[in-house]
Amino acid sequence: MSRNYEFIDHTADIAVKLEGSTLEEMFTSGAEAWLFSVIDKKNLKADDLLDIDIPANSKEELLVSFLNELNFLLTTKKWLCLTVKSIKIFEDSQGCEVSAELNGVTIKKNHPLKQEIKSVTYHQLEIVKKRNRYSTRVVFDI
Amino acid sequence: MNIGGIELVKIRENLWEIPATGQMRVPGRIYISRDMIEKGLKDDEALKQVVNVAQLPGIERYSLAMPDIHWGYGFPIGGVAATNMDEGVISPGGVGYDINCGVRLATTNLEHERVKIRIDELISKLFNAIPTGVGASGAIKKLSANDLKKVLTKGSVWALENDLGSSSDIEFTEESGTLKNADTEVVSKRAFERGADQVGTLGSGNHFLEVDVVEEIYDAKVAEVFGMFKGQIVIQIHTGSRGLGYQVCDDYLKLLLQASKKYGFKLPDRQLACAPIKSKEGQDYLAAMQAAANFAWNNRQVIMHLARKVFKDTFGMKDSELGFRLVYDVCHNIAKIEKHKICKEEKEVCVHRKGATRAFPPGSKMIPAKYQGVGQPVLIPGDMGRYSYVTVGTEKAMEETFGSSCHGAGRTLSRTKALKNAKGRNLVEELKQKGIVIQAKGYKTIAEEMPGAYKDVSDVVEVMHKEGITRKVAKIRPIGVIKG
Repeated sequence: MSRNYEFIDHTADIAVKLEGSTLEEMFTSGAEAWLFSVIDKKNLKADDLLDIDIPANSKEELLVSFLNELNFLLTTKKWLCLTVKSIKIFEDSQGCEVSAELNGVTIKKNHPLKQEIKSVTYHQLEIVKKRNRYSTRVVFDI
Repeated sequence: MNIGGIELVKIRENLWEIPATGQMRVPGRIYISRDMIEKGLKDDEALKQVVNVAQLPGIERYSLAMPDIHWGYGFPIGGVAATNMDEGVISPGGVGYDINCGVRLATTNLEHERVKIRIDELISKLFNAIPTGVGASGAIKKLSANDLKKVLTKGSVWALENDLGSSSDIEFTEESGTLKNADTEVVSKRAFERGADQVGTLGSGNHFLEVDVVEEIYDAKVAEVFGMFKGQIVIQIHTGSRGLGYQVCDDYLKLLLQASKKYGFKLPDRQLACAPIKSKEGQDYLAAMQAAANFAWNNRQVIMHLARKVFKDTFGMKDSELGFRLVYDVCHNIAKIEKHKICKEEKEVCVHRKGATRAFPPGSKMIPAKYQGVGQPVLIPGDMGRYSYVTVGTEKAMEETFGSSCHGAGRTLSRTKALKNAKGRNLVEELKQKGIVIQAKGYKTIAEEMPGAYKDVSDVVEVMHKEGITRKVAKIRPIGVIKG
């Protein structure tokens, strides 16, 4: 599958454009862009599976919560998500939820990271659907 | 002048106004030169962010920006806004993720000549004593949940009680290093987890510890009160509340997005999520933010203490000989409840400073007795290859900017562009040629933080000086740097 994310020049932080033919695919692109931003994945192999379920009030908040969960797992538990094995997003009038199975590995405490993402931000975050294709721009605070 | 559809009206040489139109409740005001507008603000969204902030409920007088304004998220970096206590809001977007990111400056009795010849050894020892880099941990033993709670409640005072500082250190810290209404009950378990082993760590990005030499004195009288002289060795520390602060911000943005809906606020950017200051949500955020701010003060205090020890060991000096004394510690990402004159009436307001420094004048009750006659030290770090400034707060800052000034140089190149610029160059050697020794976890950080990636901080400081908001006291130049 071709890459579904593209970094946009931003003076202070990281801005990235995400795309996907489904919301799930776009969220997966987000996870890939996050991974590229934090670590050099060469020589790292997944040997662990982790299930996550995250609720939110909107798709936008869901995307931020999902990516922040990956960031929290890495910064606090040293658990690195290498690939999103399966992902499903549910939406109804009450809100939405993402259920995902992550493939990853626990990295060593001193494993070098490219940079520290403080958080994924809500800054001007809007998920749009045009001709059956989802896209958004998200800013990582570093 | 029109920049990207936003009208800017010149008020003074270095002060521009965006008239209140559309949903703006107040005008925007930016302290900046024409040249800096043309060079720095044409291609990003910083001005739009000034306009957005002007739409916050209860905002008083102006949505302000300092000359180091650049594109942030929610508020612009360099943004200042005061909201009233009645219908006004508090917004985590006006503080940022790195709650109480700030700077401290300490002086010593050492002179340049003595330190110059041992700078490699000194920097290497500092680098070993103070953990740097992404997710750095382990400066002191990992704190129990109970101890961490004490750090969040007591701030720098925790360090003092644990033999990691002196009472003078506390006296010369903004708010004496403790915001009193911090409440650990409203700080999430996740935030505790992210902060548990990060006390006394610098972190990565633009955070640093610098050994500087005082290069120029502009105001001899004030410099003397600050204890500074030409040729003196001083130390600067720039860091914040680390993972704990990021998590507090993250937790409350989520909560305040809901609150914004509940209170019927229409916001131009989700990152400006907010709640009325007096609401439960607003008060909880304020108490959690204060807890994170206390963590940050304690963090800088512990780092300074570790640095002081390295200096003592390296030069074989006792405390009394070394004279390692904190001049001041300022925060530049915070929201504070303060009293300010609005329409000739003194009023309590919530001042958001996002990438802006408090700059209180002589006579302020909020500054140490020693500085009553001259005003508060305002520390403005520049990039690692040039210089930083020590300035002082004025009455005019109280009149015009809710007692606030700039906080640094501000980036001019994105990190990607900086990396491209650094290709094929040996920045460590280039800095060495300029008399600056650097040690960092990774070369990438050095490249991203290279001097050319930042605006010249003297342009920023000059605007504030000419407008009388903060006056220049001294210029200091780095001779050694440690980074993440």
